[in-house]
Amino acid sequence: MIVAEQKPLDEILALTEGAERVAVLGCGTCVTVCFAGGEKEAEVLAASLRMRARVQGRSLDATHGVVQRQCEWEYLDAARPSLEGVDCVVSLACGVGVQAMVERFPELRTVPGLNTKFYGLPTEHGVWEARCAGCGDCVLGLTDGICPVARCSKSLLNGPCGGSQGGKCEISPDTPCAWHLIYERMEALGHLDRLAEIQPPKDWSPGPSGGPGRIVREDLRRGPPPAEESEPAQPSSLLAS
Amino acid sequence: MSQEFEPRIVAFCCHHCAYGAADLAGAMRLRYPEGVRVVRLPCTGKLDVAHVLEAFERGADGAFVAG
Repeated sequence: MIVAEQKPLDEILALTEGAERVAVLGCGTCVTVCFAGGEKEAEVLAASLRMRARVQGRSLDATHGVVQRQCEWEYLDAARPSLEGVDCVVSLACGVGVQAMVERFPELRTVPGLNTKFYGLPTEHGVWEARCAGCGDCVLGLTDGICPVARCSKSLLNGPCGGSQGGKCEISPDTPCAWHLIYERMEALGHLDRLAEIQPPKDWSPGPSGGPGRIVREDLRRGPPPAEESEPAQPSSLLAS
Repeated sequence: MSQEFEPRIVAFCCHHCAYGAADLAGAMRLRYPEGVRVVRLPCTGKLDVAHVLEAFERGADGAFVAG
């Protein structure tokens, strides 16, 4: 899942400065299960914004809602009625959801309520850890299913480095050394000899280093490609409704 | 007119224990301040932070959870 955490309340308040009607919009997918931006968090944030504004002596009408998935335009339409007349939307989605909101409702001011952290999983109640860095060229087949790109502090492809001490990374005693884990796993699987294979420098261009990602599946695509369109598709407008 | 502050406290009570205790206290003619308002819950596990926030938003000075 995409793991995120909520911004400090004062930062969110500053982002909504000048707005008198605020809608806090949660997302029902990744950020719900990491307890950062689901319906409950949206409700609590809306109440917190109202109370903080009241303490500051200003008027703020904060409502809350949630859509099943903020990262697809179609799902955002469900929120359209609740956004009528709103000055500002606080999106409790990941960065994808915030931008989907901006693209779907360009006339609305949408601000982020979360900091998107990583792709990860819960390792125990209340603890989430990164597992994937979205590098675009998966190496898990080389490392027996433990990602050195996401889990080694240096993203080394030939590790461990000298900072691995007692199975932990030198950056923190709470951070396992990914290459120590890889070593242990290869040993358990009986092919430790694979660790001696030297990996060449990684091509980072399939991932974020290669520019904004884009995947086109012609077999799934409908309609003409963008170059043949007479004009770009316009997201429907709240103002026009 | 008294200027003494009398807090309004919302008491969230579990039906199966604390609410019963409050009932018993009433039967024993024990008194508690008028500013305490009891909200009976099927279980305090039902209590959500949103309920507590709503109590404060509606003017409560404090929340009391008993269960």
